[in-house]
Amino acid sequence: MKEFKHVIADPMGMHARPAGMLVKAVASYASTVTITAPTGKADAKRLMALMRLAAKQGMELTVTVEGPDEDKAAAEIQAFLAANL
Amino acid sequence: MGFFKKLFGKKLDGLYAPMAGKAVPVTEVPDPTFAEGMLGNGVAVIPTDGKVYAPCDATVDMMFETGHAVSLVADCGAELLIHIGLETVGLEGKPFTIHVKNGDKVKQGQLMIEADLEAIKAAGLNTITPMLVCNTDSFPTFEVHTGADVTRDDVLIELGK
Repeated sequence: MKEFKHVIADPMGMHARPAGMLVKAVASYASTVTITAPTGKADAKRLMALMRLAAKQGMELTVTVEGPDEDKAAAEIQAFLAANL
Repeated sequence: MGFFKKLFGKKLDGLYAPMAGKAVPVTEVPDPTFAEGMLGNGVAVIPTDGKVYAPCDATVDMMFETGHAVSLVADCGAELLIHIGLETVGLEGKPFTIHVKNGDKVKQGQLMIEADLEAIKAAGLNTITPMLVCNTDSFPTFEVHTGADVTRDDVLIELGK
């Protein structure tokens, strides 16, 4: 299992576009990707679950990646979040 | 008879127009997030009135604090996202009046949000409102009706499992 943290920099937080882009980015991995925010926990492959987090700027997300491609997935998701959220 | 009824008489679940206006294919939304189906397949309304209604009986899953979008879990199982206008998250709620909250049960046609369309336009933003089924894959039958002027009494999407 790989785990890393990301603090949301986007002033709008986790709204529809970044959530949709994240789902798309995560969908290609075999690994399970879970995002934990102070507001709850979400399967990053499920758009509705991500939006329900209502994650805002400044909130710290903990991302856990578990599965056969976890090394690659964790590195790429970390880069994606740094660039988009 | 039961078999044929199942095969041919299967009732589809209808999603009604969330706003009054002109119904258009979601591919006509000038924003790839919606047009490319990244968030799910659906339909869009170019609204003529700011009232946003529940498209079916459902539970409010996530009413965005900013009022610009709402997600619902329909009684038929569809996960819906209604996004009022494009880039409207940046308006920080100003043109939106919210009438429902997370966990509320809503009936088809019930008022959920009122949007000030003129204020959205004045901010230089497009008021086109996509309604998406986020779990499109759960519905092998997915019929979209567009091209007409619609009200909350018109079905825009028919879903079948």
